[in-house]
Amino acid sequence: MAHQTDFTKKKECEVKALPLEEKKRMVKDGEAHWFFPRHVAEQVIICGALLMILITISTIFPAHLGEKADPFNTPDHIKPEWYFLAAYYTLRVAEYTEFLGAWAPKIMGIVMQGVAVTLLLLVPFIDRGGKERRPSKRPIAMAAGAAAAITFIAFTLLGHYV
Amino acid sequence: MDMDTLELGPFKVKNKLVIRMFSALDDRLGVKEILDDEVFEKIAPAHLGFWSCFGGISFFLFICQIVTGILLMIYYQPTISQAHASVGRIMNEAPFGWLIRGIHAWGSNLMLITIAVHMTKIFVSGIYKAPRELNWVVGVILLLLTLGLSFTGYLLPWTQLAYWATVVGTETPAAIPYIGEYIRFAMRGGDEIGQVTLTRFFAIHVMVLPVITAATVLLHLLQIRRQGISGPL
Repeated sequence: MAHQTDFTKKKECEVKALPLEEKKRMVKDGEAHWFFPRHVAEQVIICGALLMILITISTIFPAHLGEKADPFNTPDHIKPEWYFLAAYYTLRVAEYTEFLGAWAPKIMGIVMQGVAVTLLLLVPFIDRGGKERRPSKRPIAMAAGAAAAITFIAFTLLGHYV
Repeated sequence: MDMDTLELGPFKVKNKLVIRMFSALDDRLGVKEILDDEVFEKIAPAHLGFWSCFGGISFFLFICQIVTGILLMIYYQPTISQAHASVGRIMNEAPFGWLIRGIHAWGSNLMLITIAVHMTKIFVSGIYKAPRELNWVVGVILLLLTLGLSFTGYLLPWTQLAYWATVVGTETPAAIPYIGEYIRFAMRGGDEIGQVTLTRFFAIHVMVLPVITAATVLLHLLQIRRQGISGPL
């Protein structure tokens, strides 16, 4: 369909500069929606639904306030919040590097965390496999992503239960 | 502008007073051009579905955190003798305090989930590829800032769990060779976790990180605006 404006390959400033007649045609042909009122209405509905979910959860499960901190009383089990469990378990895994020397466990723990964050930051520069975006045509990237996700979830569960 | 009817997208305004006020504003600031470009003659892609919402949802949750956070600050007292009791008063005495704190606490958890879903969608659809590599990098920085906000906010009610989680959390960077000990000292404001730690975490949680995060969110959005929304697969 050569006559169509390739909307998705244009920068916002280029889309903005399209003639009004062209924009009207794109809305008519189903390639785009008007920002107002259609898109704004969708956003308002999504945000409203989300706020209702938050209010519902907060009402059914009120935020917990634990006992006051006591610096002289160390609890038996110190566990971080769920989103830090994987990082916490990494420190436990690092204890197995003790065969390298007494220095290893502490340093390897923070090294492993640092490497994980650096790899995540550099994803676009590690995966330079052309412009192909369909998941089925990117088996290596998908496998690496799945492995990373499974490791994170496994570490989170192990951090919680072990 | 001199006319009988002011046309703004679907709206047709005939009120003389409104037209005169709008004209005066338009003569000075060119309001009509901005409104047409950014609101009434703006189009959005039709291919965006459920999974494309999560970046925007995370943004909305960030706004909710700012609003509820400011409300919580009205009653919260950042001292080790009063912090726990003041959160108790927020929960039990302040009007709707339980709800405001509930939204703030659950919102922070939900925000990390929606960010994870957003990142998964971006990864699976290969949207991080050229020309959007730096969007991904800025996005990961936003994730780290969100984790920093969670970490600093967790200590503020001064509960037993939060205190000891912070003991462990501030101990971890101490393992970094040469500078680790200094980082721990800087995070705690001393050798032990105490009033200085709480003051520091409070300042970082309500001022430093929110301002940096807001600026980074702005950068993230500007990148999207310059590049446009990515196309369908």
